Amino acid sequence: MIYNFPIDWFFISILFFIGAYCMVVSKNIIKLLIGFEIISKSALIAVITAGLATNNINLAQNIIIVMILVEAVVIASGLALVVKYYRLNQSIDITKIINLKG
Amino acid sequence: MVTDFLSYSLIPLCSALAIPFISRKSRRITEILANVTLLSGLINVGYIILHYIIKMDYSSFTFDAFTLLMIFTIYLVGLAVVFFSTYYEVENDTNSNSYYSLILISVSAMCSLVMSRDFFTLYIFMEAISVCSFALITSSNSKNSIEASIKYFFLTFPASVLIIFGISILMLNYGSFDFDTIKFTNINFLTVIALSMIIIGFLIKSGIAPFHFWTPDVYQGSYSPISAYLAGIVTKIGGIYAIIKISQILYNSGATYKISALLLFTGMLSVLIGAFGAMVQKDFKRMLAYSSISQMGYIILATATFSPLGIFAAVFHLVNHATFKTVLFLNSACVEKNTGTTNMEELKGLEKKMPYTSWTSVIALLSTAGVPPLSGFWSKVLIIIALWQSGNKYYAVIALIASILTLAYFMIMQKKVFFGKLSEKLTEVKEAKFQLLIPVITISIIIILSGIFFNRVYFYLEKIIM
Repeated sequence: MIYNFPIDWFFISILFFIGAYCMVVSKNIIKLLIGFEIISKSALIAVITAGLATNNINLAQNIIIVMILVEAVVIASGLALVVKYYRLNQSIDITKIINLKG
Repeated sequence: MVTDFLSYSLIPLCSALAIPFISRKSRRITEILANVTLLSGLINVGYIILHYIIKMDYSSFTFDAFTLLMIFTIYLVGLAVVFFSTYYEVENDTNSNSYYSLILISVSAMCSLVMSRDFFTLYIFMEAISVCSFALITSSNSKNSIEASIKYFFLTFPASVLIIFGISILMLNYGSFDFDTIKFTNINFLTVIALSMIIIGFLIKSGIAPFHFWTPDVYQGSYSPISAYLAGIVTKIGGIYAIIKISQILYNSGATYKISALLLFTGMLSVLIGAFGAMVQKDFKRMLAYSSISQMGYIILATATFSPLGIFAAVFHLVNHATFKTVLFLNSACVEKNTGTTNMEELKGLEKKMPYTSWTSVIALLSTAGVPPLSGFWSKVLIIIALWQSGNKYYAVIALIASILTLAYFMIMQKKVFFGKLSEKLTEVKEAKFQLLIPVITISIIIILSGIFFNRVYFYLEKIIM
């Protein structure tokens, strides 16, 4: 199998913009978190391709596993915030978060 | 990672794990454990530093001076905030189990971050600090605090993505992301892109203009002692520390012009936006948040010089910022507790009722504005000299003028809140409890002493850049 580095980065950028589009157009906080996950995953694929291109796949795999763990913790805390916000405000619309301003 | 100081990060972690088990019987045991853990760490690291500062004999000094000083600052602010929140009780009480555990975990993560020697470890502990902060901000269970936390989550998420992309480009280029690999090899175009992405990520995390939109909201909305903790140390270690470290790695590599331009621009922008923003604010905590943005701008300007003097000044201003901003935010928490509001239009003439709060905040604001002999003067003067020496003369002049603006907005704040005639609604306000004043007065004494004995502090700071 021939390894093609530019095609990998082409798909990484497509994945990145799918996630970014999801974050820009949606008002629901859960959908924002889904977009956030897609963007993070594109960044993780960038690390693994970098490891593959430099014959350093062991290091790349090791750091990817730790990074997946970190992403999971961050997303879990984000979902906890959504639950707490819903309990206090009965809504998960991001455009209604406008109380604090100066 | 440097393993010399590992105990400073492991002992708070063990205490944090122990707290949920022992705190079922009484809240008091939790508070004592949290305070004792941080106090013993502070005495330990403070003894090492003060031993050398008083004796002025560095022949037996083998530690990493930068890491040691950062650990001292983390423990100082952490202890001040934990001690303050022990006696700061409001109606909707916080859950002491998770509150003290999270503070200790975040102290542990910050100590680990300052020990890291590669970008991957830096990223991991930055995320650990962020996750602790999301939970700590919401600890007062109010609508404002959950809103602040969601804003913090969504407005700082691009930071982690940018840092991972930066790490992947460094891997492509070198096959590694150690600080030493980058230090001892040639800097090419890909490295500049990777380092710029990493620097922008950390700038977002530290709330520098033009990425400052979350900072005032978060500091205003969160639980008051946590505002002091975030503004004093968390966002600084999570963001600014990495930039100072990059500056320290690259300062004799020669190819730093492009990164320097990026840092000079964002630094100058945040100095000016912070200063002008602070003048028009009506909320006490929000105004302090803008002032924090402005002071961060000075640190970024100092790191942008990529010179030994600039790094020296940036580190000293980081330590000074931790001291004076903690004092100001803890004072704002006292004012909020005793009067029930932080709106500056409703507060007036509190000096007669709260003299200690008023005068410690005068000391802190004079140190921020750079009035001799307080410690803020020395760091600010060194930043301006470093900018002038590195050839950025216009930036030096603007930094000098902006420090007058700093004095102006703090004088507006002091006049509105503390000086003048006492407002009629506030006639029954009392001075804060004695225990709440202990951390504030102690840190004020540190500000005065490190300004007066700067010649001794100087020899310690010199070890950072050698």
